Amino acid sequence: MARRALYPLFQVGNPQLRVFCPNFFLTLVRPGREQPPDTVQFRIPMEMTKCDVKNYLEKIYSVPVGAVRTRIQYCTNKKRNHLNQRVKRPDYKVAYVQLAQHQTFEFPDIFPTKEAEQEEGSLEAMQEKFMEDEKQRQKPDPRRGGVTEWFGL
Amino acid sequence: MATCTRLAWRTSLPRHVAIIKCKRSLHSDTLKREPVYPAIVPSKTAKSKSAKRRREEDYHNAVKSATVQDKLQLLTKVQRKKYVLYPQTFALNADKWYQYFTKTAYLPGIPDKFVVEVGENDVQKAPAITDKNAFSELRSLVCDSILQENFYLKKPKPFLLKEQETLFAPFIKNMVSGITSALAKHSHLLEVSSLDFNPQVNFYWMRGERTVPRGHRGGRVDPARFQIDDTPLCQIRVPQQLPEFLPLETDVSVEVPEIRFAPDLLPMFRRQYDNNIFTGSKLADPCSYGHTQFHLVMDRFQRRKLAKANLVDQIEVGLRANAIASLFAWTGAQAMYQGFWSHEDVTRPFVSQAVITDGQYFSFFCYQLNTLALTVQTDTGNPRKNFCWGTESMRLYETIQDGNIIGLDDNVLKLLVQFLLNGAKLM
Repeated sequence: MARRALYPLFQVGNPQLRVFCPNFFLTLVRPGREQPPDTVQFRIPMEMTKCDVKNYLEKIYSVPVGAVRTRIQYCTNKKRNHLNQRVKRPDYKVAYVQLAQHQTFEFPDIFPTKEAEQEEGSLEAMQEKFMEDEKQRQKPDPRRGGVTEWFGL
Repeated sequence: MATCTRLAWRTSLPRHVAIIKCKRSLHSDTLKREPVYPAIVPSKTAKSKSAKRRREEDYHNAVKSATVQDKLQLLTKVQRKKYVLYPQTFALNADKWYQYFTKTAYLPGIPDKFVVEVGENDVQKAPAITDKNAFSELRSLVCDSILQENFYLKKPKPFLLKEQETLFAPFIKNMVSGITSALAKHSHLLEVSSLDFNPQVNFYWMRGERTVPRGHRGGRVDPARFQIDDTPLCQIRVPQQLPEFLPLETDVSVEVPEIRFAPDLLPMFRRQYDNNIFTGSKLADPCSYGHTQFHLVMDRFQRRKLAKANLVDQIEVGLRANAIASLFAWTGAQAMYQGFWSHEDVTRPFVSQAVITDGQYFSFFCYQLNTLALTVQTDTGNPRKNFCWGTESMRLYETIQDGNIIGLDDNVLKLLVQFLLNGAKLM
Protein backbone atom coordinates (compact mmCIF):
# COMPACT_ATOMS: atom_id res chain seq x y z
CA MET A 1 0.00 0.00 0.00
CA ALA A 2 1.09 3.49 -0.65
CA ARG A 3 1.75 4.53 2.91
CA ARG A 4 4.04 1.55 3.58
CA ALA A 5 6.21 2.18 0.54
CA LEU A 6 9.86 2.85 1.26
CA TYR A 7 11.39 4.81 -1.51
CA PRO A 8 15.18 4.96 -1.87
CA LEU A 9 16.48 8.11 -0.23
CA PHE A 10 17.42 10.72 -2.77
CA GLN A 11 21.08 11.59 -2.80
CA VAL A 12 22.45 14.53 -4.70
CA GLY A 13 23.78 13.33 -7.97
CA ASN A 14 21.48 10.35 -8.26
CA PRO A 15 19.12 10.28 -11.18
CA GLN A 16 15.89 12.03 -10.26
CA LEU A 17 13.26 9.73 -8.86
CA ARG A 18 10.23 9.50 -11.07
CA VAL A 19 7.19 7.45 -10.18
CA PHE A 20 4.94 6.85 -13.12
CA CYS A 21 2.55 4.39 -11.53
CA PRO A 22 1.01 5.12 -8.19
CA ASN A 23 1.43 2.58 -5.49
CA PHE A 24 -2.31 1.96 -5.23
CA PHE A 25 -4.05 -1.35 -5.61
CA LEU A 26 -7.62 -1.59 -6.84
CA THR A 27 -9.54 -4.82 -6.54
CA LEU A 28 -12.29 -5.42 -9.02
CA VAL A 29 -15.02 -7.33 -7.19
CA ARG A 30 -18.27 -8.97 -8.11
CA PRO A 31 -21.06 -6.72 -6.80
CA GLY A 32 -22.97 -8.19 -3.88
CA ARG A 33 -26.19 -6.49 -4.96
CA GLU A 34 -26.80 -6.49 -8.67
CA GLN A 35 -25.70 -3.23 -10.26
CA PRO A 36 -26.72 -1.60 -13.55
CA PRO A 37 -24.63 -2.84 -16.47
CA ASP A 38 -22.56 0.35 -16.66
CA THR A 39 -21.46 0.23 -13.03
CA VAL A 40 -18.27 -1.47 -11.85
CA GLN A 41 -17.43 -2.11 -8.23
CA PHE A 42 -13.94 -1.86 -6.74
CA ARG A 43 -12.35 -2.18 -3.34
CA ILE A 44 -9.86 0.60 -3.01
CA PRO A 45 -7.41 1.74 -0.34
CA MET A 46 -8.79 4.10 2.26
CA GLU A 47 -6.55 6.96 1.18
CA MET A 48 -7.82 6.94 -2.37
CA THR A 49 -10.39 9.58 -3.31
CA LYS A 50 -12.96 9.71 -6.09
CA CYS A 51 -10.70 11.87 -8.21
CA ASP A 52 -7.85 9.43 -7.65
CA VAL A 53 -9.99 6.55 -8.86
CA LYS A 54 -11.10 8.50 -11.90
CA ASN A 55 -7.55 9.50 -12.82
CA TYR A 56 -6.21 6.02 -12.13
CA LEU A 57 -8.68 4.32 -14.44
CA GLU A 58 -8.51 7.00 -17.12
CA LYS A 59 -4.76 7.47 -17.22
CA ILE A 60 -3.53 3.94 -16.69
CA TYR A 61 -6.23 1.78 -18.23
CA SER A 62 -7.87 4.45 -20.46
CA VAL A 63 -11.32 3.48 -19.23
CA PRO A 64 -13.92 6.23 -19.85
CA VAL A 65 -15.17 7.10 -16.39
CA GLY A 66 -18.45 8.95 -16.04
CA ALA A 67 -18.92 9.14 -12.31
CA VAL A 68 -17.36 7.65 -9.20
CA ARG A 69 -19.14 7.12 -5.90
CA THR A 70 -17.44 5.79 -2.81
CA ARG A 71 -18.43 4.55 0.58
CA ILE A 72 -16.59 3.03 3.50
CA GLN A 73 -17.64 -0.44 4.53
CA TYR A 74 -17.50 -0.97 8.27
CA CYS A 75 -16.32 -4.45 9.17
CA THR A 76 -17.12 -6.41 12.26
CA ASN A 77 -15.50 -5.86 15.63
CA LYS A 78 -17.32 -8.78 17.16
CA LYS A 79 -14.78 -11.52 16.72
CA ARG A 80 -12.62 -12.49 19.71
CA ASN A 81 -9.25 -14.17 19.77
CA HIS A 82 -8.04 -16.95 22.07
CA LEU A 83 -7.40 -14.37 24.85
CA ASN A 84 -10.98 -13.13 24.50
CA GLN A 85 -9.80 -9.81 23.12
CA ARG A 86 -11.77 -8.10 20.39
CA VAL A 87 -10.31 -8.50 16.94
CA LYS A 88 -11.27 -5.86 14.41
CA ARG A 89 -11.60 -6.93 10.84
CA PRO A 90 -10.23 -4.02 8.82
CA ASP A 91 -12.65 -1.63 7.12
CA TYR A 92 -12.34 -0.98 3.45
CA LYS A 93 -13.50 1.56 0.90
CA VAL A 94 -15.80 0.58 -1.94
CA ALA A 95 -15.92 2.54 -5.18
CA TYR A 96 -18.77 2.36 -7.68
CA VAL A 97 -17.51 3.52 -11.04
CA GLN A 98 -20.06 4.43 -13.66
CA LEU A 99 -18.67 4.12 -17.17
CA ALA A 100 -19.21 6.82 -19.76
CA GLN A 101 -19.89 6.56 -23.49
CA HIS A 102 -22.43 3.74 -23.14
CA GLN A 103 -19.81 1.21 -22.10
CA THR A 104 -20.94 -1.79 -20.11
CA PHE A 105 -19.12 -4.28 -17.98
CA GLU A 106 -20.09 -7.68 -16.72
CA PHE A 107 -18.03 -9.41 -14.08
CA PRO A 108 -16.57 -12.52 -15.72
CA ASP A 109 -17.55 -15.97 -14.60
CA ILE A 110 -14.20 -17.10 -13.23
CA PHE A 111 -15.20 -20.57 -12.10
CA PRO A 112 -17.59 -21.92 -14.69
CA THR A 113 -19.41 -25.08 -13.66
CA LYS A 114 -18.00 -28.06 -15.52
CA GLU A 115 -20.09 -29.37 -18.33
CA ALA A 116 -21.19 -32.75 -16.95
CA GLU A 117 -22.80 -35.30 -19.29
CA GLN A 118 -20.00 -37.50 -20.51
CA GLU A 119 -20.61 -39.73 -23.46
CA GLU A 120 -22.21 -43.09 -22.85
CA GLY A 121 -19.66 -45.90 -22.59
CA SER A 122 -16.60 -43.64 -22.36
CA LEU A 123 -13.87 -44.33 -19.82
CA GLU A 124 -14.81 -41.36 -17.60
CA ALA A 125 -18.45 -42.33 -17.48
CA MET A 126 -17.63 -45.89 -16.50
CA GLN A 127 -15.20 -44.72 -13.86
CA GLU A 128 -17.76 -42.36 -12.40
CA LYS A 129 -20.41 -45.06 -12.31
CA PHE A 130 -18.00 -47.41 -10.58
CA MET A 131 -17.13 -44.78 -7.98
CA GLU A 132 -20.77 -44.10 -7.33
CA ASP A 133 -21.56 -47.78 -6.87
CA GLU A 134 -18.64 -48.19 -4.55
CA LYS A 135 -19.74 -45.22 -2.47
CA GLN A 136 -23.21 -46.66 -2.21
CA ARG A 137 -21.82 -50.01 -1.10
CA GLN A 138 -19.62 -48.52 1.60
CA LYS A 139 -22.38 -46.43 3.07
CA PRO A 140 -23.42 -47.79 6.51
CA ASP A 141 -26.90 -49.18 7.02
CA PRO A 142 -29.13 -46.25 8.03
CA ARG A 143 -31.32 -48.55 10.13
CA ARG A 144 -28.40 -49.20 12.51
CA GLY A 145 -28.27 -45.51 13.47
CA GLY A 146 -24.50 -45.22 13.29
CA VAL A 147 -23.76 -48.31 15.38
CA THR A 148 -20.91 -50.23 13.73
CA GLU A 149 -21.25 -53.70 12.22
CA TRP A 150 -19.18 -55.16 15.01
CA PHE A 151 -22.04 -54.98 17.46
CA GLY A 152 -24.37 -56.93 15.21
CA LEU A 153 -25.15 -60.59 15.31
CA MET B 1 -84.42 -50.16 -5.86
CA ALA B 2 -86.39 -47.81 -3.63
CA THR B 3 -85.57 -44.78 -5.78
CA CYS B 4 -86.72 -46.55 -8.84
CA THR B 5 -90.16 -47.22 -7.38
CA ARG B 6 -90.53 -43.67 -6.07
CA LEU B 7 -89.67 -42.21 -9.47
CA ALA B 8 -92.22 -44.33 -11.10
CA TRP B 9 -94.87 -43.15 -8.64
CA ARG B 10 -94.05 -39.44 -9.25
CA THR B 11 -94.18 -39.73 -13.01
CA SER B 12 -97.57 -41.34 -12.77
CA LEU B 13 -99.02 -38.22 -11.04
CA PRO B 14 -100.97 -35.79 -13.18
CA ARG B 15 -98.84 -32.84 -14.26
CA HIS B 16 -101.01 -29.92 -13.06
CA VAL B 17 -100.70 -31.02 -9.42
CA ALA B 18 -96.99 -30.26 -9.45
CA ILE B 19 -97.56 -26.84 -11.03
CA ILE B 20 -100.03 -25.85 -8.35
CA LYS B 21 -97.52 -26.84 -5.69
CA CYS B 22 -94.87 -24.52 -7.19
CA LYS B 23 -97.23 -21.58 -7.36
CA ARG B 24 -97.87 -21.45 -3.65
CA SER B 25 -97.53 -17.84 -2.57
CA LEU B 26 -95.68 -18.73 0.62
CA HIS B 27 -92.55 -19.83 -1.24
CA SER B 28 -92.17 -16.74 -3.43
CA ASP B 29 -92.58 -14.49 -0.38
CA THR B 30 -89.58 -15.97 1.37
CA LEU B 31 -87.43 -15.52 -1.72
CA LYS B 32 -88.17 -11.82 -1.97
CA ARG B 33 -87.60 -11.05 1.67
CA GLU B 34 -84.50 -8.97 2.43
CA PRO B 35 -81.89 -10.29 4.86
CA VAL B 36 -82.46 -9.06 8.38
CA TYR B 37 -78.77 -8.80 9.18
CA PRO B 38 -76.35 -6.45 7.45
CA ALA B 39 -73.90 -8.02 5.04
CA ILE B 40 -71.07 -9.79 6.75
CA VAL B 41 -67.90 -7.82 6.16
CA PRO B 42 -64.41 -8.47 7.42
CA SER B 43 -63.28 -6.84 10.61
CA LYS B 44 -61.59 -3.47 10.50
CA THR B 45 -59.12 -4.11 13.24
CA ALA B 46 -58.15 -7.75 12.91
CA LYS B 47 -54.73 -8.84 11.82
CA SER B 48 -55.77 -10.58 8.63
CA LYS B 49 -55.55 -10.12 4.91
CA SER B 50 -59.26 -9.50 4.51
CA ALA B 51 -59.19 -6.90 7.28
CA LYS B 52 -56.32 -5.15 5.57
CA ARG B 53 -58.20 -5.20 2.29
CA ARG B 54 -61.25 -3.76 4.05
CA ARG B 55 -59.20 -0.93 5.54
CA GLU B 56 -57.71 -0.17 2.12
CA GLU B 57 -61.15 -0.16 0.54
CA ASP B 58 -62.48 2.15 3.21
CA TYR B 59 -59.59 4.50 2.60
CA HIS B 60 -60.16 4.47 -1.16
CA ASN B 61 -63.88 5.14 -0.71
CA ALA B 62 -63.11 7.97 1.67
CA VAL B 63 -60.77 9.55 -0.85
CA LYS B 64 -63.22 9.03 -3.70
CA SER B 65 -66.06 10.74 -1.88
CA ALA B 66 -63.99 13.65 -0.58
CA THR B 67 -63.70 17.12 -2.08
CA VAL B 68 -60.53 17.99 -3.96
CA GLN B 69 -59.01 19.82 -1.03
CA ASP B 70 -59.63 16.86 1.27
CA LYS B 71 -58.47 14.44 -1.40
CA LEU B 72 -55.07 16.10 -1.61
CA GLN B 73 -54.92 16.19 2.15
CA LEU B 74 -55.82 12.50 2.46
CA LEU B 75 -53.42 11.39 -0.26
CA THR B 76 -50.46 13.26 1.15
CA LYS B 77 -51.20 12.74 4.81
CA VAL B 78 -49.03 9.77 5.66
CA GLN B 79 -45.35 10.61 5.76
CA ARG B 80 -42.92 7.85 4.92
CA LYS B 81 -39.45 7.80 3.49
CA LYS B 82 -39.65 8.69 -0.17
CA TYR B 83 -37.28 8.99 -3.08
CA VAL B 84 -36.62 12.62 -3.91
CA LEU B 85 -36.46 13.16 -7.64
CA TYR B 86 -34.44 16.18 -8.66
CA PRO B 87 -35.40 17.51 -12.11
CA GLN B 88 -31.85 18.69 -12.72
CA THR B 89 -29.76 15.79 -11.61
CA PHE B 90 -26.12 14.83 -11.64
CA ALA B 91 -27.00 11.17 -12.17
CA LEU B 92 -25.92 9.71 -15.49
CA ASN B 93 -28.56 8.44 -17.93
CA ALA B 94 -31.33 9.64 -15.65
CA ASP B 95 -33.85 10.09 -18.47
CA LYS B 96 -34.51 6.37 -18.85
CA TRP B 97 -35.10 6.00 -15.11
CA TYR B 98 -37.34 9.05 -14.96
CA GLN B 99 -39.34 7.69 -17.87
CA TYR B 100 -39.92 4.51 -15.94
CA PHE B 101 -40.86 6.32 -12.73
CA THR B 102 -43.40 8.47 -14.56
CA LYS B 103 -44.44 5.89 -17.19
CA THR B 104 -43.55 8.29 -19.96
CA ALA B 105 -42.76 7.40 -23.54
CA TYR B 106 -40.35 9.83 -25.15
CA LEU B 107 -40.95 10.86 -28.76
CA PRO B 108 -38.15 12.85 -30.38
CA GLY B 109 -39.26 15.91 -32.33
CA ILE B 110 -42.16 18.24 -31.66
CA PRO B 111 -45.81 17.17 -32.02
CA ASP B 112 -47.33 17.21 -35.50
CA LYS B 113 -49.43 20.16 -34.50
CA PHE B 114 -46.47 22.54 -34.58
CA VAL B 115 -45.03 21.18 -37.80
CA VAL B 116 -47.42 22.86 -40.25
CA GLU B 117 -47.06 25.33 -43.02
CA VAL B 118 -47.79 28.88 -42.09
CA GLY B 119 -50.69 29.11 -44.54
CA GLU B 120 -52.91 26.50 -42.90
CA ASN B 121 -55.48 27.80 -40.48
CA ASP B 122 -57.17 24.88 -38.86
CA VAL B 123 -58.67 25.05 -35.41
CA GLN B 124 -56.66 22.05 -34.28
CA LYS B 125 -53.39 23.41 -35.65
CA ALA B 126 -51.34 25.83 -33.64
CA PRO B 127 -51.42 29.30 -35.09
CA ALA B 128 -48.27 31.05 -36.18
CA ILE B 129 -47.66 34.69 -36.69
CA THR B 130 -47.76 35.42 -40.40
CA ASP B 131 -47.41 39.14 -40.09
CA LYS B 132 -43.85 40.27 -40.85
CA ASN B 133 -44.14 43.43 -38.78
CA ALA B 134 -45.41 41.65 -35.71
CA PHE B 135 -42.58 39.15 -35.92
CA SER B 136 -39.88 41.79 -36.33
CA GLU B 137 -41.34 43.56 -33.33
CA LEU B 138 -40.95 40.38 -31.27
CA ARG B 139 -37.47 39.91 -32.63
CA SER B 140 -36.36 43.35 -31.54
CA LEU B 141 -37.97 42.74 -28.16
CA VAL B 142 -35.91 39.58 -27.67
CA CYS B 143 -32.75 41.33 -28.86
CA ASP B 144 -33.35 44.15 -26.41
CA SER B 145 -33.80 41.81 -23.49
CA ILE B 146 -30.61 39.92 -24.40
CA LEU B 147 -28.61 43.13 -24.72
CA GLN B 148 -30.09 44.59 -21.56
CA GLU B 149 -28.41 41.98 -19.41
CA ASN B 150 -25.27 41.44 -21.44
CA PHE B 151 -24.44 44.86 -22.83
CA TYR B 152 -26.42 47.83 -21.50
CA LEU B 153 -26.22 46.91 -17.85
CA LYS B 154 -22.88 46.89 -16.15
CA LYS B 155 -22.96 43.92 -13.84
CA PRO B 156 -20.42 42.86 -11.27
CA LYS B 157 -18.71 39.55 -11.77
CA PRO B 158 -21.16 36.92 -10.57
CA PHE B 159 -20.39 34.86 -7.51
CA LEU B 160 -19.27 31.28 -7.92
CA LEU B 161 -22.09 29.10 -9.33
CA LYS B 162 -24.43 32.11 -9.50
CA GLU B 163 -23.64 33.04 -13.07
CA GLN B 164 -26.88 31.74 -14.58
CA GLU B 165 -28.94 33.33 -11.84
CA THR B 166 -27.41 36.78 -12.25
CA LEU B 167 -26.94 36.90 -16.01
CA PHE B 168 -29.56 34.80 -17.71
CA ALA B 169 -32.48 34.52 -15.30
CA PRO B 170 -33.39 38.23 -15.67
CA PHE B 171 -33.10 37.90 -19.45
CA ILE B 172 -35.53 34.98 -19.58
CA LYS B 173 -37.95 36.70 -17.24
CA ASN B 174 -37.89 39.93 -19.24
CA MET B 175 -38.24 38.09 -22.50
CA VAL B 176 -41.14 35.95 -21.37
CA SER B 177 -43.13 38.80 -19.86
CA GLY B 178 -42.40 40.95 -22.92
CA ILE B 179 -43.38 38.32 -25.48
CA THR B 180 -46.52 37.22 -23.64
CA SER B 181 -47.79 40.78 -23.37
CA ALA B 182 -46.95 41.39 -27.03
CA LEU B 183 -48.73 38.20 -28.08
CA ALA B 184 -51.77 38.89 -25.94
CA LYS B 185 -53.42 40.73 -28.82
CA HIS B 186 -53.14 37.59 -30.96
CA SER B 187 -54.27 35.17 -28.29
CA HIS B 188 -57.07 35.78 -25.88
CA LEU B 189 -55.88 32.89 -23.76
CA LEU B 190 -52.64 34.70 -22.99
CA GLU B 191 -54.58 37.82 -22.12
CA VAL B 192 -56.32 36.07 -19.25
CA SER B 193 -53.32 33.96 -18.27
CA SER B 194 -51.26 34.48 -15.18
CA LEU B 195 -47.49 34.51 -15.18
CA ASP B 196 -45.64 33.33 -12.04
CA PHE B 197 -42.00 33.91 -11.28
CA ASN B 198 -40.06 31.34 -9.28
CA PRO B 199 -43.14 29.31 -8.39
CA GLN B 200 -43.03 26.05 -6.49
CA VAL B 201 -44.26 22.91 -8.17
CA ASN B 202 -44.53 19.73 -6.13
CA PHE B 203 -45.80 16.29 -6.87
CA TYR B 204 -45.99 13.11 -4.85
CA TRP B 205 -46.86 9.68 -6.21
CA MET B 206 -46.25 5.98 -5.79
CA ARG B 207 -44.83 3.63 -8.34
CA GLY B 208 -43.47 0.13 -7.97
CA GLU B 209 -42.92 -1.70 -4.73
CA ARG B 210 -40.24 -3.48 -2.80
CA THR B 211 -40.05 -5.98 0.00
CA VAL B 212 -38.65 -4.48 3.17
CA PRO B 213 -35.40 -6.41 3.64
CA ARG B 214 -34.99 -6.21 7.40
CA GLY B 215 -36.20 -4.45 10.48
CA HIS B 216 -39.48 -4.78 12.29
CA ARG B 217 -41.37 -4.56 8.98
CA GLY B 218 -39.06 -7.07 7.30
CA GLY B 219 -40.72 -9.16 4.62
CA ARG B 220 -43.61 -6.79 4.14
CA VAL B 221 -44.33 -5.22 0.76
CA ASP B 222 -43.97 -1.47 0.67
CA PRO B 223 -44.80 0.84 -2.26
CA ALA B 224 -41.98 3.06 -3.51
CA ARG B 225 -42.91 6.70 -3.01
CA PHE B 226 -41.57 9.59 -5.03
CA GLN B 227 -41.54 13.32 -4.58
CA ILE B 228 -40.56 16.06 -7.01
CA ASP B 229 -39.89 19.57 -5.74
CA ASP B 230 -39.41 21.81 -8.71
CA THR B 231 -38.88 25.54 -9.04
CA PRO B 232 -39.19 26.66 -12.64
CA LEU B 233 -37.96 30.12 -13.49
CA CYS B 234 -41.41 31.22 -14.59
CA GLN B 235 -44.60 29.61 -15.73
CA ILE B 236 -47.78 30.64 -17.51
CA ARG B 237 -51.07 29.31 -16.19
CA VAL B 238 -54.35 29.63 -18.07
CA PRO B 239 -58.01 29.18 -17.10
CA GLN B 240 -58.72 26.79 -19.95
CA GLN B 241 -57.08 23.52 -20.81
CA LEU B 242 -54.77 23.29 -23.82
CA PRO B 243 -55.97 21.01 -26.63
CA GLU B 244 -54.61 17.47 -26.54
CA PHE B 245 -51.83 16.38 -28.90
CA LEU B 246 -53.10 12.81 -29.23
CA PRO B 247 -56.46 11.24 -28.32
CA LEU B 248 -56.47 9.57 -24.92
CA GLU B 249 -56.42 5.93 -25.99
CA THR B 250 -54.00 6.24 -28.91
CA ASP B 251 -51.45 3.48 -28.94
CA VAL B 252 -48.12 4.74 -30.19
CA SER B 253 -45.55 1.99 -30.56
CA VAL B 254 -42.98 3.59 -28.27
CA GLU B 255 -42.06 1.57 -25.23
CA VAL B 256 -41.55 2.93 -21.76
CA PRO B 257 -38.15 1.62 -20.63
CA GLU B 258 -38.35 -0.95 -17.87
CA ILE B 259 -35.85 -0.58 -15.02
CA ARG B 260 -35.39 -3.64 -12.86
CA PHE B 261 -33.08 -2.06 -10.31
CA ALA B 262 -33.97 -0.24 -7.14
CA PRO B 263 -33.94 3.55 -7.56
CA ASP B 264 -31.06 3.72 -5.07
CA LEU B 265 -28.74 2.65 -7.83
CA LEU B 266 -29.43 5.67 -10.05
CA PRO B 267 -28.41 6.98 -7.38
CA MET B 268 -31.46 8.41 -5.62
CA PHE B 269 -31.86 8.98 -1.93
CA ARG B 270 -34.77 8.65 0.44
CA ARG B 271 -35.89 11.38 2.77
CA GLN B 272 -38.93 11.97 4.86
CA TYR B 273 -40.73 15.29 4.95
CA ASP B 274 -44.10 16.80 3.98
CA ASN B 275 -45.68 15.23 0.92
CA ASN B 276 -46.68 18.08 -1.33
CA ILE B 277 -48.84 18.36 -4.43
CA PHE B 278 -48.89 21.90 -5.75
CA THR B 279 -49.16 23.48 -9.20
CA GLY B 280 -47.84 26.88 -8.23
CA SER B 281 -51.16 28.33 -7.12
CA LYS B 282 -53.84 27.43 -4.66
CA LEU B 283 -56.94 25.43 -5.52
CA ALA B 284 -59.27 28.40 -5.77
CA ASP B 285 -57.19 30.05 -8.48
CA PRO B 286 -59.17 30.17 -11.76
CA CYS B 287 -55.98 29.76 -13.80
CA SER B 288 -55.65 26.11 -12.85
CA TYR B 289 -54.29 24.68 -16.10
CA GLY B 290 -50.72 24.86 -17.25
CA HIS B 291 -49.55 26.48 -20.43
CA THR B 292 -45.75 26.79 -20.54
CA GLN B 293 -42.92 26.53 -18.06
CA PHE B 294 -39.47 28.07 -18.47
CA HIS B 295 -36.53 26.37 -16.82
CA LEU B 296 -33.01 27.65 -16.49
CA VAL B 297 -30.16 25.15 -16.54
CA MET B 298 -28.11 25.76 -13.43
CA ASP B 299 -24.37 26.38 -13.43
CA ARG B 300 -23.45 22.89 -12.32
CA PHE B 301 -25.02 21.41 -15.44
CA GLN B 302 -23.55 23.85 -17.93
CA ARG B 303 -22.40 22.58 -21.29
CA ARG B 304 -18.78 23.52 -20.80
CA LYS B 305 -18.66 21.84 -17.40
CA LEU B 306 -20.09 18.61 -18.78
CA ALA B 307 -17.75 18.78 -21.73
CA LYS B 308 -14.83 19.24 -19.36
CA ALA B 309 -15.93 16.18 -17.39
CA ASN B 310 -15.99 14.20 -20.63
CA LEU B 311 -19.78 13.83 -20.55
CA VAL B 312 -20.84 15.49 -23.78
CA ASP B 313 -23.53 12.87 -24.40
CA GLN B 314 -25.13 13.73 -21.07
CA ILE B 315 -26.09 17.27 -22.11
CA GLU B 316 -29.22 16.26 -23.99
CA VAL B 317 -29.93 13.42 -21.57
CA GLY B 318 -29.98 15.86 -18.67
CA LEU B 319 -32.32 18.22 -20.50
CA ARG B 320 -34.65 15.37 -21.32
CA ALA B 321 -34.67 14.14 -17.73
CA ASN B 322 -35.38 17.67 -16.55
CA ALA B 323 -38.29 18.02 -18.95
CA ILE B 324 -39.82 14.66 -18.10
CA ALA B 325 -39.57 15.18 -14.36
CA SER B 326 -40.79 18.76 -14.16
CA LEU B 327 -43.53 18.43 -16.76
CA PHE B 328 -44.84 15.26 -15.17
CA ALA B 329 -44.88 16.97 -11.80
CA TRP B 330 -46.68 20.03 -13.09
CA THR B 331 -49.19 18.22 -15.30
CA GLY B 332 -49.83 15.59 -12.67
CA ALA B 333 -50.50 18.26 -10.07
CA GLN B 334 -52.95 19.94 -12.44
CA ALA B 335 -54.79 16.66 -12.92
CA MET B 336 -54.87 16.13 -9.15
CA TYR B 337 -56.34 19.60 -8.75
CA GLN B 338 -59.21 18.44 -10.98
CA GLY B 339 -59.85 15.53 -8.61
CA PHE B 340 -58.10 12.71 -10.42
CA TRP B 341 -55.75 10.32 -8.68
CA SER B 342 -54.37 6.86 -9.18
CA HIS B 343 -57.66 5.06 -8.46
CA GLU B 344 -59.74 7.58 -10.42
CA ASP B 345 -57.71 7.85 -13.58
CA VAL B 346 -57.92 10.90 -15.83
CA THR B 347 -60.87 11.03 -18.22
CA ARG B 348 -59.26 13.61 -20.49
CA PRO B 349 -55.58 14.13 -21.26
CA PHE B 350 -53.72 17.00 -19.64
CA VAL B 351 -51.17 18.93 -21.62
CA SER B 352 -48.31 21.26 -20.70
CA GLN B 353 -45.26 22.63 -22.42
CA ALA B 354 -41.80 23.57 -21.25
CA VAL B 355 -38.82 25.47 -22.55
CA ILE B 356 -35.48 24.59 -21.00
CA THR B 357 -32.68 27.01 -21.61
CA ASP B 358 -29.27 28.03 -20.38
CA GLY B 359 -29.67 31.51 -21.86
CA GLN B 360 -28.27 30.61 -25.23
CA TYR B 361 -29.45 27.12 -26.07
CA PHE B 362 -33.19 26.47 -26.06
CA SER B 363 -34.94 23.11 -26.08
CA PHE B 364 -38.69 22.67 -26.34
CA PHE B 365 -40.78 19.98 -24.71
CA CYS B 366 -44.46 19.05 -24.72
CA TYR B 367 -46.06 16.66 -22.30
CA GLN B 368 -49.34 14.84 -22.41
CA LEU B 369 -50.52 13.17 -19.24
CA ASN B 370 -52.73 10.19 -20.08
CA THR B 371 -52.63 8.28 -16.85
CA LEU B 372 -52.08 8.83 -13.17
CA ALA B 373 -52.63 5.15 -12.32
CA LEU B 374 -49.00 4.38 -11.61
CA THR B 375 -49.29 2.30 -8.43
CA VAL B 376 -48.83 -1.43 -8.70
CA GLN B 377 -52.53 -2.15 -8.03
CA THR B 378 -53.74 0.13 -10.81
CA ASP B 379 -50.87 -0.20 -13.27
CA THR B 380 -51.37 -3.87 -14.17
CA GLY B 381 -53.20 -4.11 -17.46
CA ASN B 382 -53.31 -0.36 -17.97
CA PRO B 383 -52.35 0.24 -21.60
CA ARG B 384 -52.20 4.02 -21.25
CA LYS B 385 -48.90 5.85 -20.96
CA ASN B 386 -47.81 9.44 -20.82
CA PHE B 387 -46.05 11.07 -23.72
CA CYS B 388 -43.24 13.58 -23.88
CA TRP B 389 -42.12 15.23 -27.08
CA GLY B 390 -38.86 17.10 -27.20
CA THR B 391 -36.39 18.76 -29.49
CA GLU B 392 -32.64 18.78 -29.28
CA SER B 393 -31.28 22.03 -27.92
CA MET B 394 -31.05 24.82 -30.48
CA ARG B 395 -28.90 27.89 -30.28
CA LEU B 396 -30.76 31.20 -30.18
CA TYR B 397 -27.75 33.40 -30.96
CA GLU B 398 -24.05 32.92 -31.43
CA THR B 399 -22.30 35.81 -29.74
CA ILE B 400 -22.73 39.41 -28.72
CA GLN B 401 -20.21 41.83 -30.19
CA ASP B 402 -20.33 45.45 -29.03
CA GLY B 403 -24.05 45.89 -28.97
CA ASN B 404 -24.92 43.57 -31.84
CA ILE B 405 -26.30 40.09 -31.60
CA ILE B 406 -24.70 37.85 -34.16
CA GLY B 407 -26.52 34.92 -35.69
CA LEU B 408 -29.94 35.22 -34.09
CA ASP B 409 -31.87 32.11 -35.14
CA ASP B 410 -35.37 32.99 -36.33
CA ASN B 411 -36.53 29.38 -36.29
CA VAL B 412 -36.02 29.12 -32.54
CA LEU B 413 -37.91 32.33 -32.02
CA LYS B 414 -40.73 31.16 -34.28
CA LEU B 415 -41.02 27.92 -32.37
CA LEU B 416 -41.14 29.83 -29.10
CA VAL B 417 -43.93 32.02 -30.47
CA GLN B 418 -45.79 28.95 -31.69
CA PHE B 419 -45.52 27.40 -28.24
CA LEU B 420 -46.89 30.52 -26.62
CA LEU B 421 -49.70 30.82 -29.16
CA ASN B 422 -50.84 27.25 -28.54
CA GLY B 423 -54.52 27.30 -27.65
CA ALA B 424 -54.96 30.86 -28.92
CA LYS B 425 -58.31 30.02 -30.52
CA LEU B 426 -59.81 28.48 -27.44
CA MET B 427 -61.44 31.47 -25.81
